[in-house]
Amino acid sequence: MTGYSERVAEALENGWSFAGLYAVAAGGPVRVALASETGDIRLETVEPGSGAMPSIVDLVAAAGWDEREAHDLYGVRFDGHEPLRALVNHDPDFETWTVPVRGRDPYQVAVGPIHAGVIESGHFRFQLVGEKILHLDARLFYKHRGLERAAEGSTLEEGARYVARACAACAVTNGVAYAQAVETARGLRAGAELGRVRTILLELERVWSHLNDISAVCAGTGLAAGAQRFAGLTERARRLNARLTGHRFLFGSVRVGGSNVTLDADAITFAQEELGRLRAEAASGWRELVFNRSFEDRLSNVGVVRAKDARRLGATGPAARAAGIAVDVRSTSPGLAYEGFVPVVPSRTVGDVQARLEQRHLELGQSFGLLEAIVARPVRPVAAMNAGTEQLVAASRVESPRGATLCVVEREGDRLTRVHLRTGSYANWPVVAFAAVGNMLPDFPLINKSFELCYACADR
Amino acid sequence: MLTLLKDLRRLRREIALPRPDRGRSLAVRHVDCGSCNGCEHELILASSPYADLQRFGIGIVASPRHADVLLVTGPVTIRMREPLLAAWAAMPEPRRVVALGDCALGHNVLGMPDEIVGPIESVLPVDLRIPGCPPAPDEIAAGLLALLDSTRGSLPISS
Repeated sequence: MTGYSERVAEALENGWSFAGLYAVAAGGPVRVALASETGDIRLETVEPGSGAMPSIVDLVAAAGWDEREAHDLYGVRFDGHEPLRALVNHDPDFETWTVPVRGRDPYQVAVGPIHAGVIESGHFRFQLVGEKILHLDARLFYKHRGLERAAEGSTLEEGARYVARACAACAVTNGVAYAQAVETARGLRAGAELGRVRTILLELERVWSHLNDISAVCAGTGLAAGAQRFAGLTERARRLNARLTGHRFLFGSVRVGGSNVTLDADAITFAQEELGRLRAEAASGWRELVFNRSFEDRLSNVGVVRAKDARRLGATGPAARAAGIAVDVRSTSPGLAYEGFVPVVPSRTVGDVQARLEQRHLELGQSFGLLEAIVARPVRPVAAMNAGTEQLVAASRVESPRGATLCVVEREGDRLTRVHLRTGSYANWPVVAFAAVGNMLPDFPLINKSFELCYACADR
Repeated sequence: MLTLLKDLRRLRREIALPRPDRGRSLAVRHVDCGSCNGCEHELILASSPYADLQRFGIGIVASPRHADVLLVTGPVTIRMREPLLAAWAAMPEPRRVVALGDCALGHNVLGMPDEIVGPIESVLPVDLRIPGCPPAPDEIAAGLLALLDSTRGSLPISS
């Protein structure tokens, strides 16, 4: 067992990054997923001696939640992770899950799990002096449904249902990550045409999601006209999804081992025209936001996460790129149609609410451009191809609208023995808590909206 | 700003929603009891210009104290049972419960039995069921408007 931390440390020095950690079964073993700059995924496996193993949080702060989850759900202890606070377990004792704050006049504000709007359930415990946030502990997992455990024992095909149910907002991303992992396990790979279909679906998901996120930031500042304008565009994007695949969130459009999506010439023409209109109207709406001083005034230097902290905490997706970290799984996704993809970063890479908002706008432009290139001809059902050797454990990473999502599949024959989903939201939640510190409490909803993470796929 | 408002006015003309009845309203408190976030995303768009619930007097309120209706999504996880009951207990009477989406109705729920209580109706009396996975914004709007019609005179009316 000695050597595990050293192997992880060495990998990090050689340019690999932490991509997730999970327990395979009660008491272990535990696997750590590492991703290379060229898109390779490597799993390091550790067998804890008598239920305990070394923690890697000193090497990788981003592994904090993963270790806490493995402890709560699978009983693995992590030596050196002190204190190992409860994450999934909802111990009523306040001390077990919060960081103590001392000093002159600190007080707490408890928010949630039910919020004052249409927001998913989760609890935020703020420690404040006056209006200034000193510390935030996010207690999620109110929506924990035990999807990963429930999926165990199902067939590799059925497993896709559990992954899809984790989250509507990341349904395509999670579905593609699962399908790719299962295909690798079965010795299959996606050809160019299957890659094209999946890329169309992934980018359609990003388009509605980013339009929604821009609307959400407008709502967070009280700019109703902007919120309504972009909500209208979000509605149109979902209607386009329904027109193309029969479902507004593209449910059921990603399959393991191939695709049944059919887009005839009429559908393609409609998609091209509607995407063109959405692109033009989103650009026009964006100009209005940029020139609205009282709106822009609310955004800069709020919820700042600089690159150094973003890296340390494991930020991913728009949240990381807004801090200047030009990393995007799309640039290393051989099974998808992203040849030559280059990540964008905003003009001000300061990692504040404004940068994260601009990042959505830039990525929308990229997505419309990608879709224009690949929604160019009809789409027909297509199957994955034989590629070579089968594996019992396989992993895949896909870039969701909220960042890198990891899916690991373990099997015996055609049965799932373990599936683990670590979504962009899961990776970014600790970053939200960090971003809140030093800001005013009334700005927290806006900071939270600028990340616009899902609770559902973090909780599973 | 002017362009945004002009665009919205044009959009409203194109969508041409019917004129609302005067003097009716329904204050809705939303509680997510373990959804996949699909129902929430569609409920948000029930207030977009395409369904525009506010136009018909239906609004999401920030406290159960202000609510006529508890709108519940998800299959009710073990951890959300208590908060759900607390929200219900805080509501003034008369009050109504709407189960939104297939999970809330107990259909095709996935997860561990030890993490999920069951459909909303196993926890609270349900007055209206809006099926769908997830229901689209216009279906949510139609359901809530039907509730408003059916409860005419029996719910506190505010304007």
